[in-house]
Amino acid sequence: MSLKTLELGLKAIRVLQDGTDPPEEALLVPGWYIDPQTGQRIFYDPDSQKFYTLAGGVYIPLGYMNPAPKQVAVAPGDRLKVTISFKYTGPAITGVTGYYCLGVNGIFGFDEKLVQRTTFNLPQVTTPPSVPNVSDSYTFTIPTGIGTNWDDIYVKIFGGSPSIAGEATTPYLFGYENALTIAGIEPNITEFKIADFAKV
Amino acid sequence: MALDIVLAPMALEPKTFNVGEKVRVTVSFKYVVGVNTTVKLLAGPYSTNLFGKHLVSSCVGQAEIQLPASSTLADGAGTVDFILIAKPLGGIDNGTYGLRVWIEDTNAVAEQDNVLIISGNTSGGDMFTSMMPMLMMVMMMGMIMPMTQQMGEGVEEE
Repeated sequence: MSLKTLELGLKAIRVLQDGTDPPEEALLVPGWYIDPQTGQRIFYDPDSQKFYTLAGGVYIPLGYMNPAPKQVAVAPGDRLKVTISFKYTGPAITGVTGYYCLGVNGIFGFDEKLVQRTTFNLPQVTTPPSVPNVSDSYTFTIPTGIGTNWDDIYVKIFGGSPSIAGEATTPYLFGYENALTIAGIEPNITEFKIADFAKV
Repeated sequence: MALDIVLAPMALEPKTFNVGEKVRVTVSFKYVVGVNTTVKLLAGPYSTNLFGKHLVSSCVGQAEIQLPASSTLADGAGTVDFILIAKPLGGIDNGTYGLRVWIEDTNAVAEQDNVLIISGNTSGGDMFTSMMPMLMMVMMMGMIMPMTQQMGEGVEEE
């Protein structure tokens, strides 16, 4: 089985003690924006520092899950390498946890099916980088019993010394929906049609 | 100016069959599966009325298809036969039916209305069935008339 790779971008992050906002967000003023990737109209609230969508007259925080830019086909026995990268400015931090998860994203949240953790360090960076300067990865081995709907993936980072965020409250998470085409035990059939019928 | 032409899939043409004949259905599909798998392909006629679609279960045929493991979309195909069992034997009546094909335990279903035109059932059975109410009425009259005559005779005696 071959090694497949999926890359995730966590964008800019900062440490909790830093107090400075990432340069990209500091430029934002309250108002409506258009997501360049999806074309969706989104509202930015500088107080909560979150983007919102408007549905049924209610402002809903924009989720951390995003449409996958590509799909990776995997089967039991395949190895799937998930790589994250982000821009980091701040002090050196040791023991940051990378939390990698495959599962099913639904209206009640993300049903985590496969979870793995890594530990990595962040270097001291004083000048905001123009390109992602930190990366980490984990390689999953796809199990035999994988479900055909385990096609969503998300990654979050937290912890470390000094801590960048708590495990449950970390804002540094990012995911893709429908990122995988799972070839599981159960066949996934599409384009099923009657080609012909005749008397024999 | 550009002219865009899209070719839609051709609909199945209706065909006529006699009861007792065997119908072979060919399907095509794409699939992914992690291990070599055998699936069950089924096909049969269905009728449609106000309450929905009703499969003629006595005429459903089935066959097995081998799907070699493939993590990328692979082409699959299969055939399944079913026999049009006559109505007197608990099968299908004369008329026009739809054709449904599906793979068991998956979401793969394909069907089209009004493509099976069934004929060949003898009308003898149908005539008897249609005459049953009239025969029942005659039998009831035959039972009731003697009773009323007896009652009438009793009144006259008084």
